[in-house]
Amino acid sequence: MKIKSLLIANRGEIAIRIIKTARKMGIRSYVIKTAKEPNAWYLEEADQIIDFSESYDDVIPEFLDIERIIQSAGKHKVDAIHPGYGFLAENPDFARRCEEEKITFIGPSHDAIYRMGHKTIAKELARENSVPLLDGSQGALSDAEEARKIANKIGYPVILKAAAGGGGRGMRVVEKEKDIERMFTLATNEAEKAFNNPDLFLERFVREPRHIEFQILGDQHGNIVHLGERECSIQRKHQKLLEESPSPALDSALRKKMGEAAIKIARSVNYYSAGTVEFLLDDDNSFSFMEMNTRIQVEHPVTEMVTGIDLIEQMILIAEGEKIPFTQKDIKLNGWAIEWRINAEDVQSGFSPSLGTIEKISWTENEHIRVDTGVRDGSVITPYYDSMIAKLIIHAETREKALQQSSMAIRKFWIKGPKTTLAFCRAVLQNRNFRKGKFNTSFLSKELKIHYQNEPDEALLAAFFATYDYAREMDENEEKPLHTENGKAITPWVLKKRLR
Amino acid sequence: MDVKGKNFTRFLERQQAHNDQHDARAKAKQHSKGKLTAWERIDILFDEDTFEEVDAYVTPDKTDTGFGKVQQAYGDGVIIGHGLIRGRLTFAYSQDFTVMGGSLGSVHAAKIMKIQDMALKMGAPMIGLIDSGGARIQEGVASLAGYAGIFHRNVQSSGVIPQISVILGPAAGGAVYSPAITDFVFMTDQTSYMFVTGPNVVKEVLNEDVSLNDLGGAGVHSKKSGVAHLVYPDEENTLMGVRQLLAYLPSNNMENSPEMELSSDETSDVEEKLRDIVPDDPNKPYDVKEVIRLNVDKRSFYEIAENYAQNIVIGFGRLDGKVIGIVANQPKVLAGTLDINSSNKGARFIRFCDAFNIPLLILEDVPGFLPGIDQEHNGIIRHGAKMLYAFADSTVPRITVILRKSYGGAYCVMNSKNLGGDFNFAWPTAEIAVMGPEGAVAILYRKELAASDDQAAMKKELAAKYRIEIANPYVADERGFIDEVIDPAETRLKLIRAFEALETKQIDNPARKHGNIPL
Amino acid sequence: MARSAKKKKTTKLIALSSTNKAYEFKKPLQKRIKYQGEEVDIKLHEDPNGFSYIVWKNKKYMLDVIEKKQNRYTIMVNSVWHSFTVETPVSLKRKRFLEKQGDASSSVSIEAPMPGKIIDILVEENGEVKEGEPIIILEAMKMQNEITSHISGIVQSVSVKKNELVMKDDVLIEIRKG
Repeated sequence: MKIKSLLIANRGEIAIRIIKTARKMGIRSYVIKTAKEPNAWYLEEADQIIDFSESYDDVIPEFLDIERIIQSAGKHKVDAIHPGYGFLAENPDFARRCEEEKITFIGPSHDAIYRMGHKTIAKELARENSVPLLDGSQGALSDAEEARKIANKIGYPVILKAAAGGGGRGMRVVEKEKDIERMFTLATNEAEKAFNNPDLFLERFVREPRHIEFQILGDQHGNIVHLGERECSIQRKHQKLLEESPSPALDSALRKKMGEAAIKIARSVNYYSAGTVEFLLDDDNSFSFMEMNTRIQVEHPVTEMVTGIDLIEQMILIAEGEKIPFTQKDIKLNGWAIEWRINAEDVQSGFSPSLGTIEKISWTENEHIRVDTGVRDGSVITPYYDSMIAKLIIHAETREKALQQSSMAIRKFWIKGPKTTLAFCRAVLQNRNFRKGKFNTSFLSKELKIHYQNEPDEALLAAFFATYDYAREMDENEEKPLHTENGKAITPWVLKKRLR
Repeated sequence: MDVKGKNFTRFLERQQAHNDQHDARAKAKQHSKGKLTAWERIDILFDEDTFEEVDAYVTPDKTDTGFGKVQQAYGDGVIIGHGLIRGRLTFAYSQDFTVMGGSLGSVHAAKIMKIQDMALKMGAPMIGLIDSGGARIQEGVASLAGYAGIFHRNVQSSGVIPQISVILGPAAGGAVYSPAITDFVFMTDQTSYMFVTGPNVVKEVLNEDVSLNDLGGAGVHSKKSGVAHLVYPDEENTLMGVRQLLAYLPSNNMENSPEMELSSDETSDVEEKLRDIVPDDPNKPYDVKEVIRLNVDKRSFYEIAENYAQNIVIGFGRLDGKVIGIVANQPKVLAGTLDINSSNKGARFIRFCDAFNIPLLILEDVPGFLPGIDQEHNGIIRHGAKMLYAFADSTVPRITVILRKSYGGAYCVMNSKNLGGDFNFAWPTAEIAVMGPEGAVAILYRKELAASDDQAAMKKELAAKYRIEIANPYVADERGFIDEVIDPAETRLKLIRAFEALETKQIDNPARKHGNIPL
Repeated sequence: MARSAKKKKTTKLIALSSTNKAYEFKKPLQKRIKYQGEEVDIKLHEDPNGFSYIVWKNKKYMLDVIEKKQNRYTIMVNSVWHSFTVETPVSLKRKRFLEKQGDASSSVSIEAPMPGKIIDILVEENGEVKEGEPIIILEAMKMQNEITSHISGIVQSVSVKKNELVMKDDVLIEIRKG
């Protein structure tokens, strides 16, 4: 069935990204207006706005309000819903409700979402399909005692993870046996709080792995391909800060091996739409399955750049029931792409969010640069949503050239207003091991000691400017003439009433 | 010096002795405490080479009690005189802590009174630079009488000439009441203190340990007690701050405030950013200071008592070069509600502006008075009335702009039309009503709501209806309670024209000694 | 005038960084800096997009005043911020003196770095805190942010409650040094 209209249950840059493809395909786009961001840019880009902004006293945030979104979709007779990432993107109930209401959900089946969302089920599927896994518990742990037994068998350190989890919450590394009981309680509480599900599982903790993920594309006719990997090892507290494709750590043999494993995982749930299979890669090139994300990823542009495939377009076509128009051997990785996430965060204060208005934003453009953003001059970074300002994507023939281009593009990426991670990007670029492609997930904690790039002259220039501004303001205050003569020209009409 | 046979030896000797008194040692002593000397302060405060000292050679009263020693210094520990500040005549006294701890003896007090009298006669601002240990014990009642004389003059001058106190060291005991009466109190962080009874007495009487800073430092007085209006990190900035403030004030109650030319990069008369400042969500805060800054002349907003009762913002600004006083509810703090402290803060400022003919601009976004037992028991009725009284009693031009909420009693208080507001504008985002939509429908539809299956939905629906039918600026506009609903972007232009139209405002108030403000 | 001493004009200003590094500039401020023994011109520009930048040794440095209060400044240069207080020779001396005195008994307030909701309070009144210890969890931007204490001491007062919404710079907790 051809999709003619599409509701985007998301905001910011991804909403705009989806609108772009929809426009290209002649699909009418609908977006949701919230009271939190009534002047956001994505609203203007869309063909039609559905206004949720009167709902400020609601308990459920707008983009998580399944019934309201479904109802609005029905009222406006939209054919399909694209959830973007975050919010309801990996909520099986949402996908199921779409199905029930005969609205095409642009994504995988609710069953695939459910099974991959549940970490213990996903692991079980990997085991059944002989995809490598880290040693650990099978299914949820019943108590701390069981955790201890398994940990003692596989050896420390181990990591406890929330079965329903993600994003670093409900995770605890246990270094020694004596800590396991305490950590088990902590992680259980955290998991309960964060995901409403206290279940934990345990696995061997790989100290300094790389984080490699494979982009998967499958259709409803059983065809599944992978579009190469993304290198996502540069992270802070499980938040990715930059991604590249391909990874400097993979050769074509390993790529083939890991790609096949990724496809196996996807096939185990008859996966269709775009999805991502995450692996940990150890020093010795052994890899193990971590989880599968059943949605479009923030970092999808790097894959688009090297493969030349519009992933959002493919998601829509697949949802319409089309077959994937290429096979695995048609897919070539072309050059090197890096995505720098530019967030409104204060790198110098431990990446704490930096709210406020983006007064000005500008960047240079050339054939190597792609910028995906949901903000422009005057946009406000609110506390309600994530802190992303823009994704700066660089594409060049080689990694070296991509880094070179990055350096230039980052230097010319100017944002006035909030504090940003641009300084962090510069610091990463300066790092020798990063330039050599030698890094893993411990990069931030071990390799990059100072998380921002600060040339000595910059402090001097800042000092000068502060002093200059202070002196100027003082002088302006002091030197601007005060005109008091008007006091003598007060009309008697007024003056006689100055006293009572 | 010998001019035409006349002998100036005595003259020169005295001059030398006087200079010696301000020698390096005295200076070092003061500097070692992180403070400047009385003279250095005068130098920073006044335009270069304009200060003329008066009574430099008086000496302290000789006490005959024989109790304690009195240092025989020229000037008796205080410098008085006059000079120019940005070209305008200003009188000042500066206490010298190096002479008997700046203690106030009878001669010291007489000097201060002398300069106070002069300032009042000349109709020029009076500034006190205070750094004194308090009354001079050796002089007993004479010293106390001195204080009373100073207080009396402070009161006589109140509302006639601007009086500013700058606390640069200790101000203890009775000494605190002179600053308390004056219009503005400046303090320097870490080196100035004000208290009625010091830490030692507190310890003795109540057995409570408290440091000087925790009892009466600049932080306490600017945040908690509201005694200090302006605090700066060091003395130079404090004194420069005084100069800055004076640029907004007239020399006396008959003159107008000085005007200032616009900057080359002046605020445009149409400021589109103003359309986006007030959030669509009525419960979402925003910073009213941003609204102020976008309306007044560039860099002209001078805030008073920034850290005290932050739910109300007061300060001076310029509109097209002319000074106005600004009173604004701050939705960012306590949702902009009025409480005891903010009422006091607002009322005193309104009185100052009225006394010195400074027109008032009121930016209103107030959901009402702050509810609570604490507020009621401490007399929000009495204190809230001050603000109301101050507005109604003032004869200066008064313009209100309702930015968003204007509910209930707070609507009346915040310079409503019938309280004598000259022009009352509203932005399209304004909500004017007896109470907020949620509260109103809960009362009006109590029975219906109780009977409903889905109370929340019904309440929401009714609230939306209430917003459309009652809580908007158009109803008030059509009935004349609002003069005009204006485009936020054009606020500055509207204000400039409105204040211009009000320049010759005069009001006949009934003759009386004075009203009875609910103090 | 009874006093013969002439008034001294401030001849230099000092920008003191948060790491206590002092940068000295002569008044009146020329747009040039003494740098490694020679004077180098400094050019302030504003581009058509409204960004200000400095040209320094043929390189552009984007520059922005992100905070300014009295003599306290935070300046961003190429997306790295630097905090300063601008001092005169006298005020700098005073500052150094007062620092040395180090008011040990004074208390420090921990303020909210951003608006948000208080999720959890991890300390109690009269409890002990160590430098770097998390004291409050503040939720903002979908994230739970740990607010840590930057000093060690005793909790004097807790000014917020769980689930309370706070604004930037609201005092959360006061800690007495010690």
